[in-house]
Amino acid sequence: MIPPYRAIHLWDWPVRLAHWGFVVLLPLLWWTAEEGDIETHRRLGIAMLFLVLLRLTWGVVGSDPARFARFVKGPGVVLAYLRGQLPAVPGHNPLGGWSVAALLAVLSVQLGLGLLSQDEYGLVAGPLNHLVSYETAEMVTEWHEAFFNVILALVALHLAAIAFYSVVRQDNLIGPMLTGQKEIEDDTAQPRMAKWQTAALALIAAAALTAWIGMGAPPS
Amino acid sequence: MTTARFAAIALAAAMLAVPTIAAAPDTIKARQDNFKAMGRSMKLISDELKKDAPAFAVIRREAAALERAGKRIPGFFPRGTGPEAGVKTEALRAIWQKPAEFRAAATKLDGATKGLRTAAAGTDAAKVRAALGATGGTCKGCHDQFRLDK
Repeated sequence: MIPPYRAIHLWDWPVRLAHWGFVVLLPLLWWTAEEGDIETHRRLGIAMLFLVLLRLTWGVVGSDPARFARFVKGPGVVLAYLRGQLPAVPGHNPLGGWSVAALLAVLSVQLGLGLLSQDEYGLVAGPLNHLVSYETAEMVTEWHEAFFNVILALVALHLAAIAFYSVVRQDNLIGPMLTGQKEIEDDTAQPRMAKWQTAALALIAAAALTAWIGMGAPPS
Repeated sequence: MTTARFAAIALAAAMLAVPTIAAAPDTIKARQDNFKAMGRSMKLISDELKKDAPAFAVIRREAAALERAGKRIPGFFPRGTGPEAGVKTEALRAIWQKPAEFRAAATKLDGATKGLRTAAAGTDAAKVRAALGATGGTCKGCHDQFRLDK
């Protein structure tokens, strides 16, 4: 007999670590930039780089609900979802999947710009700043500053969507992102979750790549 | 008679003013180029310091360039080259309102770049790094007071 309510594992710890890390780091990154504490901004940026690399890696080798292949769908599927023609499946829905992909994409772009950026005093610079000229870095730094608005817009959309699902659809998205568990009413199967060894390897890979970039990407 | 005299004085004043007004954008452009050159030198030194074996020849060259460019700064701010010049500039009116403080800031930079040149004469990267930090600190100190905060 299937009990009326049961919980499945949905968001494993790499997903939650990355997600809540973004939530903590984004305001701090904004604040340190605003205050001109570029050294702290650089350090936090490297922490952000690690989290994004972890999440991107996890999107390829991680648990099924975390995988891009599972939640990034074509326009036909997105339209069908919008028309209400698809059954609800736990995890990112076809529209939300694109939101996740877009958020990770803009974070990646911002990190790339930040790696090349510089303060104007030759004192603090992104770890890859030495690979570009002063003029290029000046331009990239301006983009880095302006591009934050794109991130803000997507974050606003993300929060609006969460509020919409919570209020209109009566679907609490925040709880599962905190606990990792989602309560379901039907016999939805438990998604395949990755082994902890896979997570450990993804963590090490992301940390190693972060360290290498943080050291200025030395060739050897 | 009075009108004619007034007109003559006005004309003379206008003729005197014209070169200043015409020159302001050029002066602003030249001083911006000078600041950019200083930023470039700062980065070139910084880039060398990131290497395992910094090229001290480059550091010396750029330190000398920084010192020269720094000495030129006070001369780049004649009256009429502030926000009233009508071209894009981040120079604040405070430069002309507090000339003594502005000059003091320029003197600090000069002292710091001299220290940088002295450090660059040796081959101790740590000393150059410290002197570069001190130089950057004087840049920032002056900007905080006298440059538009974007």
